[in-house]
Amino acid sequence: MERIYIQDDNARITKAGDNLLNVELYDGRKFENVEARRLFPITGLDKYITLLDDEGVEMAVIRDVQGLMPESKKSVLDALEEYYLIPKILEIYEAKEEYGLLKMNVRTDRGKYKFDVKNRNMDIKILYDGRVLIKDTSDNRYEIPDFYKLDGKSMKRFNSFL
Amino acid sequence: MLSGDLLSNRKLPESFSEACEKKLENGEQAMFSLVGDLNLKSKYGESAIVVTNKRLFAFDQYHQDGIKIIPIADIKEAKVKRMYGNAILRLKTGQGSVDAFRFTYSVASLADAAAAFLEAVAEGKNAEKEVEAVAATYDKMKSFCPKCGRSLSRQGAQCINCASKGTLVKKLAAYMAPEKKKLIFCLMLSVITTTMALAPPVAQRILIDDVLKGENDENRRIMLVGVVISLMLIYIVQYSIGAWRGHLMRVIGDKTVTRLRNDIFAKAQYLPMSFYDKTSTGSVITRVSGDTNTLQAFMLRVSQEAVVQFFLMIGIIVIMLVMNPILTLWSLIPIPLVVWGARFFGHKISPIYRRIWRRWSAVSSILSDTLPGIRVIKSFTSEERAIEKFENYNEDWLKEDMHASVIANVFPHVITFVVTCGSLLIWFVGGNQVIDGMDNPETAKLTAGTLISFISYASMFYGPVNFFASMNDTYQNAMTSAERILDIIDAEPEPNFGKGNVIHRIEGRIEFKNVNFSFDKTKKTLSNINLVIEPGDIVGIVGTTGSGKSTLVNLLMRFYDNYEGDILVDGRNIKEIDLQSFRSKIGYVQQEPMMFRDTIFKNIAYSNPDSAVEEVIHAADIANAHGFIAKLPDAYDTMLGERGVGLSGGERQRLSIARAVLKNPSMLIFDEATAAVDSETEQLIQEAIDRLISGRTTLMIAHRLSTLRKANKIIVVDKGEILEFGTQEELLALRGKYYKLIEIQGLAEKIQKSREEENFA
Repeated sequence: MERIYIQDDNARITKAGDNLLNVELYDGRKFENVEARRLFPITGLDKYITLLDDEGVEMAVIRDVQGLMPESKKSVLDALEEYYLIPKILEIYEAKEEYGLLKMNVRTDRGKYKFDVKNRNMDIKILYDGRVLIKDTSDNRYEIPDFYKLDGKSMKRFNSFL
Repeated sequence: MLSGDLLSNRKLPESFSEACEKKLENGEQAMFSLVGDLNLKSKYGESAIVVTNKRLFAFDQYHQDGIKIIPIADIKEAKVKRMYGNAILRLKTGQGSVDAFRFTYSVASLADAAAAFLEAVAEGKNAEKEVEAVAATYDKMKSFCPKCGRSLSRQGAQCINCASKGTLVKKLAAYMAPEKKKLIFCLMLSVITTTMALAPPVAQRILIDDVLKGENDENRRIMLVGVVISLMLIYIVQYSIGAWRGHLMRVIGDKTVTRLRNDIFAKAQYLPMSFYDKTSTGSVITRVSGDTNTLQAFMLRVSQEAVVQFFLMIGIIVIMLVMNPILTLWSLIPIPLVVWGARFFGHKISPIYRRIWRRWSAVSSILSDTLPGIRVIKSFTSEERAIEKFENYNEDWLKEDMHASVIANVFPHVITFVVTCGSLLIWFVGGNQVIDGMDNPETAKLTAGTLISFISYASMFYGPVNFFASMNDTYQNAMTSAERILDIIDAEPEPNFGKGNVIHRIEGRIEFKNVNFSFDKTKKTLSNINLVIEPGDIVGIVGTTGSGKSTLVNLLMRFYDNYEGDILVDGRNIKEIDLQSFRSKIGYVQQEPMMFRDTIFKNIAYSNPDSAVEEVIHAADIANAHGFIAKLPDAYDTMLGERGVGLSGGERQRLSIARAVLKNPSMLIFDEATAAVDSETEQLIQEAIDRLISGRTTLMIAHRLSTLRKANKIIVVDKGEILEFGTQEELLALRGKYYKLIEIQGLAEKIQKSREEENFA
């Protein structure tokens, strides 16, 4: 079966209940109550968003959310915002090791938070563009958008664990 | 305010507690609360639910007036919708869907328990009884120590901080207890060597003050010989005892670690499969090897070195004070700087070494990825890409290593310089005192010999000081290892409720009665399984990947016991039968049979090590294995590599069937035994299976339906439920799922057969 790609103005996407979306293609086909998921949640963010029905079957793929009509774009971004929680770490108040756990106290774009990282080697990933991806002991995700743009103290506090 | 004893994952904020208390109706009782960490708009903040026997109170700043109250009776469905890094407790009521509570994964399992409670009570079940399940989950999933409030290394784990004060040390000390006498003896030897280590500076003083500067020539030479001989004797005794003590300590350490390893390994054998589902085998291996060594080193360090170093420190300081109290105070000046410097250096260098290790593992991973995959690289002509990637990673390693080199070489020299400055200070202050004494012998406070001797003691003093300064880091490492080890030692073994209820024979009647099972309580793997298999039945189990086929036989093998409902064999609940006796009656042949690093003979005889040679050969014959074994140069004595390296998949499979033949089981289970072999080998295996199963109740999980020719009954499993159950003819007549599978595979097998014929042509 050929995959349906949504781009630019070839579809109107509106919000349905429970963080779901309704999609109406320019040729009249409709998909109701679909869920938006990133195909590349780490590297792609707003590109290649798959739309799944309640059985998890893919109905269509949005090539680039940024290219959609403004209302459709907003609906999709809201849905993604609701689904994905990857707080961006803006400042590191404390990073210390205690009994094999890395204990972090940070300020994020979602507020202040404390969490623990169990396996530093597996749970902290440094990408070449300076992004740092962190997974805590409960499987929650965090991101430092650009490690080299953190303030000096934060960099120093965390640097020894990278 | 609600009672402080209310079941909760952490303290319920007072404002929520008070608001809830005010709204409670007559006869309404708060059952539990769940404090979250996100608000409904995905910002970190206070939120919570309080569940009573009648209603749910959801607190969140984005609910109208900060609170949402939902009667439990109105709830039609309570679900935890897991998203990415967060989840929502979504309730369906007569008025529609409500997002009551948003939270991170930190409390997701507790929210699952809350949702199950709400659904059960909404269905009319007893709230008092249902809350017990919630309490059990809370206890199991607690992520904070209720005693000290520290976060735990994983949910439900023992708090290292609290445990370390009593239990942990006590448990570990038990492993050293058998060596108590030797340990005390070693300690006594240590006291002797420590005392002797304090003697040479005294001899130095005598040499300088009395021998070199003495007045009577003859006496000086006699004294010189005396001092040298004394020193010689001291060194002989000191080093001899040191070697002896070192040997004893190693023996004690080895025995302790052997005991610990044996215990962990033995315990690991009896741990339930659910433990291995959550813990990687690699991590268990690390615990048996690495962690035990860390702990052994720490236990010896605490029980021996700490005592020795303590005595040494006290001894040195007492001697120094007796020699010259003022100079002692002067010599203590650099100590804080040296301690701080050593710790600073340790903290500075260890992250760098960690980074070097990371960079190096990146380089190694490229090596282990590319060299074995060289065919792929060549076929895609991506040699240059591989080289570039390797060079980049290697460059990263180089930068980090050069950085470390600076610190690793500068810091120790700085510290040594500080220590030397300390000595210079003593030389200066002490030297002045010696000169004063020379000018005015009556008021002499210090002689040259005492000064030299003093400097020796002062430099010896840094040893124990540094030892205690680094003690905390060693302690933390050891406690982390201890926790990982005790995680296994203290884990609940497989329950053996029917211990002693040995069975001698199984007729083979199997009955599943209302069996429900879930691995993690979030998704049911098996639902409402009801079936009866008669003795001697050959039952094929088919279904798509992940449908629950293997779980069905895993429950029958008693790899998991925490299912609802009953499984009966010959009318007896399998949980009431002695576990070992029950499993010994079942032959289990897996898709990828496990071979051990041993001879082919011993691998076949694994199921029955006392088998006679001819029994093993006969079993190999039945399994169609004797033919290929006889052709091997070392035949039955062929040594297999790890996991059976040296044999093909089909050959390994036939050995595993021979193993099952030798076991002479009453029931047989084949878990996709022919899935990984070609059609010709499949035929050989199938022949072996046909010989083995005659007269025995047999369950065969199969992807290839052709392997089920002999099956007189078929079970079709789909999404954890039994979709169809009956004879082949019945299911074909039904024209349901089985019929469709036969149709699909019929076509697929025809294609495969024609391809194979083409290849052999």
